[in-house]
Amino acid sequence: MRAIAHPWLAPLLLAALLWALAFGLAGVGALPARRLAGLAGIHAGLALAGVVPAALLGLLLGVAVTRKMGRPLRPAADALAAAAQAVPPVVVVALAVPAMGFGWGPVVLALLLYGLMPVLRATVAALEAVPPDALLAATALGYTPFGRFREVEAPLAFPLVLDGLRVALVLGVATAAVGALAGAATLGTPIVLGLQNQNQLLVLQGAAATAALAFAAEGVLLALAPSARGVSAGAASARPEAVGQAKAVEYKAVE
Amino acid sequence: MIRFKAVGVRFGATEALADVSVTVETGVLCALVGPSGSGKSTLMRLVNRLIAPSSGQVLVRGADVMAQPAPALRRSIGYVMQSIGLFPHRSVAENIATVPRLLGWPAPRRKARVAELLALVQLDPGLATRRPAALSGGQAQRVGLARALAADPDILLMDEPFGAVDPLTRRDLRAELRRIHAETGKTILLVTHDPEEALELASQIVVLRHGRVVADGAPAALVGSTAPAFARALLGGEQPGLRRLSLVPAREALAAAPAPEGAPRLAAGASLADALSRMAETGAAVLALEGEAGSLRLAAILERGR
Repeated sequence: MRAIAHPWLAPLLLAALLWALAFGLAGVGALPARRLAGLAGIHAGLALAGVVPAALLGLLLGVAVTRKMGRPLRPAADALAAAAQAVPPVVVVALAVPAMGFGWGPVVLALLLYGLMPVLRATVAALEAVPPDALLAATALGYTPFGRFREVEAPLAFPLVLDGLRVALVLGVATAAVGALAGAATLGTPIVLGLQNQNQLLVLQGAAATAALAFAAEGVLLALAPSARGVSAGAASARPEAVGQAKAVEYKAVE
Repeated sequence: MIRFKAVGVRFGATEALADVSVTVETGVLCALVGPSGSGKSTLMRLVNRLIAPSSGQVLVRGADVMAQPAPALRRSIGYVMQSIGLFPHRSVAENIATVPRLLGWPAPRRKARVAELLALVQLDPGLATRRPAALSGGQAQRVGLARALAADPDILLMDEPFGAVDPLTRRDLRAELRRIHAETGKTILLVTHDPEEALELASQIVVLRHGRVVADGAPAALVGSTAPAFARALLGGEQPGLRRLSLVPAREALAAAPAPEGAPRLAAGASLADALSRMAETGAAVLALEGEAGSLRLAAILERGR
């Protein structure tokens, strides 16, 4: 346990190393440090502009398809998320530019589509992993459906949902580099410049800075996440839960 | 009081309950017994609207449950289940205080009530801050019982509450339940597949089979020779005669004639099975009963075994 007491330490250290590399390259002909820092800020903003709506939509869909009324929508939502994930963001950007013009629009769309599936999958998995006997108990004790969601379902699902959000954010930060193709200034800009001018240092600088930002995002979210204080779904004492599941099966059979 | 009036429940094509009419009077501990799939849990879940009747009516305290908002109804009825269902993200104290919190009790009152309940179910007050994962099976079930009793409901539903604990703990918990029932006079509906548990705890037993009521009555009557064969076989086991004798107080077979000098004496609360056992041990066919003038004779005991 001690080794993973600070899970955010490694990604933040890596981020610092890569950041130092990117800045160091500024001294040998790549983009100057100030410009790089400015691009990093815009890059982060663009990534958030794509990931935040992806997260909201993914959460909303995930909650909706796990409700009794929304359950029939589950296959459609899964298919949508899988399709959105299957199309490479570069292609989305390329296809969206004619419709939306150059700039942030196509990139935000690409990031939204790319980030949707990890959040949706994690949300659904997390909600389904909530012990059924805890839910039954909540209903039987007199929680309203919303009260049950807010006080039992959501807190029990939260740690797993957070994993999905982190994946989406890291994907988003890393992928936002393709924004350079749509003319949005990002850390992809030095990469594109380097490819055009056959300047490998620029490519390396952009790649290192993008990776640094992605690792930093991972580290920050890991640091912000509440420690999993026995909250995970499997933490309920194992034996009664197994019995509860057997019981649930029995009820299914009755139905 | 709980009354089922010609209740039927269907799940799709399956008929889980058909034409069930049962009345459980206030203060009675009623056991619902029957094989798996007989509908005993379904019958119990009608009381707090976890399941809605397809036909008929369920009356709780005289009012139709379907005419009451489900959350309010459920907060007024305690519920204990085999899988316990403690909330893993909440401490023992928070778990116990669930319904009082839903009812809007102020924090100091909740805290006092939690302390009271921990004492009632004989749990160490130091456990209050623990999470359920840190409890043993027996402790968790006691917390589950305390949580069900938290807002002092007059009706308690227990769905195989002692099924998942070891036999020793089960015996303790049964004794606990008997004590709590005696102290509080709550109406208790207990689902169990253990006939001994039903006979030991209940003053009324409802036997279900294939969703219908096979028998409904006092434990001693349901193991007697006039009981329906299915109920007698289920509850009586291999020795229905002995089971029945164990349920009848020795006083009932007392004859006016005094016991002979030196006859073995039985304790005042003994059952007829105790009397028979004492006769087998001592070889005496006549016993005296503590605090009574008459005598207990073998023939009178055997007569009541049927």
